[in-house]
Amino acid sequence: MTRHDTSSTHARPGQTPATPSRQRLIALRVSGFVLDYLLALPLGCAAALIWANTLPDGYFRFANATSFWVNDVGIVFFFALITKEVAEATLPGGALHPWRRAALPVAAAIGSVVVSIACYLAFVHNAGEHMLEGGWLAACAIDIPGTYIIARLIFGRHPAVPFLLLLAISADAIGLAGVAVVHPVGDAQPAIGFGLMAVAVGSAAALRHRGIKNFWLYLVGPGTLSWWALFVGGVHPALALVPIVPFFPHGLRDRGLLVEPAPRAHDTLTLFERWWRLPVEGVLFLFGLVNAGVPFHGLEAGMWAIPIGAVGRPIGIVAAAGVAIAAGLHLPHRVGWREVVVVACTATIGLVFALFFATAVMPPGPILLEMKMGALLTIAGGGLAFVVARLLRVGRFAQTRPSAT
Amino acid sequence: MDLDRSRRLLSTLLVAVFALWSVTAQELGLPSAPNSVKFAVIGDAGSGDPPQYDLANQMTRFHAKFPFDRVIMLGDNIYGGQGPQDLVRKFSQPYKALLDSGVKFYASLGNHDDPVNSRYPLWNMGGAMYYSHATKNVRFFALDSNQVDQKELAWLENALKSSQEEWKICYFHHPLYSDGGTHGSSVDVRVLFEPLFVTYGVNVVFAGHDHIYERITPQKGIYHFVEGASGQLRKGDTRRSAMTAAAFDQDLSFMLVEIEGNQLAFQAISRTGTTVDSGTIQRQVRPAR
Repeated sequence: MTRHDTSSTHARPGQTPATPSRQRLIALRVSGFVLDYLLALPLGCAAALIWANTLPDGYFRFANATSFWVNDVGIVFFFALITKEVAEATLPGGALHPWRRAALPVAAAIGSVVVSIACYLAFVHNAGEHMLEGGWLAACAIDIPGTYIIARLIFGRHPAVPFLLLLAISADAIGLAGVAVVHPVGDAQPAIGFGLMAVAVGSAAALRHRGIKNFWLYLVGPGTLSWWALFVGGVHPALALVPIVPFFPHGLRDRGLLVEPAPRAHDTLTLFERWWRLPVEGVLFLFGLVNAGVPFHGLEAGMWAIPIGAVGRPIGIVAAAGVAIAAGLHLPHRVGWREVVVVACTATIGLVFALFFATAVMPPGPILLEMKMGALLTIAGGGLAFVVARLLRVGRFAQTRPSAT
Repeated sequence: MDLDRSRRLLSTLLVAVFALWSVTAQELGLPSAPNSVKFAVIGDAGSGDPPQYDLANQMTRFHAKFPFDRVIMLGDNIYGGQGPQDLVRKFSQPYKALLDSGVKFYASLGNHDDPVNSRYPLWNMGGAMYYSHATKNVRFFALDSNQVDQKELAWLENALKSSQEEWKICYFHHPLYSDGGTHGSSVDVRVLFEPLFVTYGVNVVFAGHDHIYERITPQKGIYHFVEGASGQLRKGDTRRSAMTAAAFDQDLSFMLVEIEGNQLAFQAISRTGTTVDSGTIQRQVRPAR
């Protein structure tokens, strides 16, 4: 018998999700950040695919020349906005408040990571694609905005959505930690990096202690220092603002993960998001443009490695959730096993995060192109989630026959 | 009766012409000068199937006439399983006669190879994914085209810059130029390697990946060969274009190359021993920086 955590504040019974038009998404109170993602990234990816398949010389020269500025510098702000969501989620009303609420998604994320990587490695071994073995960490990436959009379209406002987001954030955090440990960047000097990071975090804490509300001071001082610390320490510098953003002064309560901030909110985190949303839209377009250009011809079987890792993911999520519940954890209110299965299928989307992980763990060359194509193919996970939701009559499909959960 | 005699005569003549063609086609077309650099080229070889063994036997026959002392391997040296038994069945067994004669194999790795096999002693890679070796006036650069990181590019630049040999030959798996219908040119690798090749005066490039033989018209002053049919074949896969100088995609093949002074002579030979392409290249006079 399924036990439920009744402390969730996200339940809003009877609400029907809408069609994927911008107006309806706005009506769902999806944040502008997500809408921008929905617009900018596919445009960048489409432009890259067209360019790489028509004028490949020019495309690859451009991609090589700009990849550092996009993948190591620009994307810092995308991860900062994701971190902002997580930091706010720890506030009262947030999905991570109290912390123990995240226990089940974290357990599910561990299962997700383990089974995804196992499926990935089993495939590359059996297919004889041994050169891809070094890219195993890319198998555990879950796209946060992409899964969120699909989940909102299926579930509307439902506790299954924050459950999915926490799962995705946890899986990506595990993966990013793995990237930092397994794939140090350049000639790593961890001691110097650690020292610089201590200064960066210390100065961010000092700014917060002195009540500084201008986010630029956090970015220019501690942020720059943190980027340099990671770069010198051999960790991917895209994560530079992850340890800094939690020090930004914030509001008293969270309105929900990836939900538009209140119009009157003027705390530092909100101002930071408002200012950076448009530049990050540009960064996401460039990220798609720089990383998604894959020639269609001549790709090897290796391009299936990431999708096969993703297809194995639902098994890991459901199994780990089962073990965690048997161990005494609770499913959120109104989330039953059918919802968990649909959430697990939605989590097969790797997209931006899989692209990012792939570029972080694999140098340029044909093997990386195969991984990138695999990352793009995981977009099909959205379709899978809809099909499974329909079959299980979950979320928007529950209207025809009410769910037993 | 006259008609019968004419037919017999014609048949005899045709047989004689074919026999003569077979003999001359299987002849060595290279000078085989005593002090020249002689080497063979194979790519995408390690299937472990009978055709690979046939080709290896043909290489052994030519080795008797043209005693090359090294073979450069263009990657996908072992398909499928990569264990010790596979290394025997797909490498040391087919090339046993050559190995026993003291011929050394210098491998680069392809997308189907296991990086662990860079430590396989008979491939002379010394555990490195990219390295160089030299003989007389020729330096070979075995590169990793699967994953081209900044370290490899920095190493290549330094190695090319400091190379004193007259001939600089680079080889790796993914072709910078190819008319293979399945894969074609690896442009993503080209934009990384080619600027260095041009700057530092690389003369010839060998690559595999497409399971055909192809000679490309010089690109930016560099001669490119695709030899990816030494164990796997994609019959009829060539899509001829303006850059096709010669191509062969009807059977497995390997190459013999001889360098003496400023001249490089090459011969591409099929599994049946037929010469499918041959010619000479004059060393490009380009000021290497």
